[in-house]
Amino acid sequence: MTASRRLLPWLLLTPALLIFAGLTLYPLGRTLALSLFATDYGFENAKFVGLENFRELWDSRFFRQAVTNTVLFTVVSTVLEVAAGLGLALLLDRAFPGRTLVMTLLLAPFVLSTMVVTAIWRAWFHFDLGFLNNLLRAIGLPGVPWLFDPNLALWSIVLVDVWQTAPFAFLIIFAGLRLIPQDVYEAARVDGAGPWRRFRDMTLPLLAPYLFVAALLRSVDSFKLFDKVYAMTGGGPGQATETVSMFVYRQGFRFFDIGLASAAAVVMIAVAGLLAVVYAASLLKGAGR
Amino acid sequence: MIRIIAAFGLCALSLIPMVWMVATSFKPPAEYVSTSIALWPQDPTLAHYRVLLDGGMWRLGLNSIVVALGTVSLALLAGLPAAYALARFELPRRFDIVFLGFVLVIKLAPPIALAIPLYQVLRALGLLDTHLGLILANQILALPFAIWMLLGFVRDVPYSFEEAAMLDGAGFVKRLVEIVVPLLMPGLVATAVFVAIMSWNEFLFALLFIQTPSKFTLPAFIATLINEDETLWGKLSAMGLIASLPVLLAVGLVRRGLTREVSVDQH
Repeated sequence: MTASRRLLPWLLLTPALLIFAGLTLYPLGRTLALSLFATDYGFENAKFVGLENFRELWDSRFFRQAVTNTVLFTVVSTVLEVAAGLGLALLLDRAFPGRTLVMTLLLAPFVLSTMVVTAIWRAWFHFDLGFLNNLLRAIGLPGVPWLFDPNLALWSIVLVDVWQTAPFAFLIIFAGLRLIPQDVYEAARVDGAGPWRRFRDMTLPLLAPYLFVAALLRSVDSFKLFDKVYAMTGGGPGQATETVSMFVYRQGFRFFDIGLASAAAVVMIAVAGLLAVVYAASLLKGAGR
Repeated sequence: MIRIIAAFGLCALSLIPMVWMVATSFKPPAEYVSTSIALWPQDPTLAHYRVLLDGGMWRLGLNSIVVALGTVSLALLAGLPAAYALARFELPRRFDIVFLGFVLVIKLAPPIALAIPLYQVLRALGLLDTHLGLILANQILALPFAIWMLLGFVRDVPYSFEEAAMLDGAGFVKRLVEIVVPLLMPGLVATAVFVAIMSWNEFLFALLFIQTPSKFTLPAFIATLINEDETLWGKLSAMGLIASLPVLLAVGLVRRGLTREVSVDQH
């Protein structure tokens, strides 16, 4: 093997490595470092304080609320999205005229800009004039304070998220469903298994890896929740829809408490890293099958 | 039969919010600032579109196009060689696994978690409030995605084609340009469309790193519109429709690639 041939892969990797070094590796290290400093309004006059920022986070009612909301949002929206995706996949499994059209149209909400989605739903959620409350009142029901009620606001955002991203879960699960060989079903049918038993004992176990990947990718994404909250409720009412991303944004870019914001960012990165390990393990397992 | 009706019914239901947006963009204010549940405009008007165009909206569309093109170009220029190197070469000490693992973490990491130091980097480079700065920041989202997606496509190109060309004395660059890239074209197009959609819809970095309103991308502008007036729905809908048309047209184009990308684990 010649020297130039040994160098070639590194040469090819250089642009990507440069971009990652400057735009992710350095910021990553810098976030870790900043999380250990108390910064007084901006980046100057930083003072080393060890893990003080993390203790402040732990003690912060706002941060705890943000974590609670983020976890609730992530778990509930992921479960609903995977369930909806599974339902759609089963519904569309058998071919019928117009299926391709239905699938393409179903995907539309998923590719819209989140800001467009937010614009639509914020109008729909309007208490006095929103489309949803107009509908409810038209059939004689009282209007619902979708975004005003602190106990409801987070679930209203879950509803929007399910509408927007269930198609994504559907895509993954549908791909998995297509790969189940039909003769498996034939055999079960011959053995006299009814539709429910065939679903429970065959489809579901065979589909499990896909349900898992769909759930993982959806929860990774839900965990980042920012855009919708930013433009729909701004984290309110009160702290009802505050998320960890919003917390970092507010501390870092509004209150300029860089140390505290970085500590919260480190917590987020740790969770993302953990999820990445789980995901990588599942990819490797899939490759070994 | 019930299955077909249910499928079309659900599909229609999920489209209502978008139908509402299209319809509202043609309604005069009196029709949407109301308690009526009529979806379709009684007295259609183009006023909202006129206001947007007269207000220089096309500039913001242009900003979004510039940022999307820049993001796609950079992601492909850096991502294709990297994917090729990872797919074709034996790298020492399992560097490829480490690298791909790192790329995966970045792909899954919340962008806000890197935003503060990124702000400092862009400020140091003098790229705050510029489209080039936003294009660079977007690489955090675009490049990991492009590398993972292209890796699968490169692996699908049989190496024997390249070996045959090598026997004919073709150098590396010639092989890449004349054999790999043409065979990769569908994959490159799919990746480009995905990255373009990602960039087109990106909001957080645009919010943090662009300050001058005339340099805003469409999502950043929509966010200001949303907060400007609670019931500015005609203008907002017109804006939303303009911002959505390009991606909706792209859906048909990438539907197959979409199924492909999300089922990476079969390769």
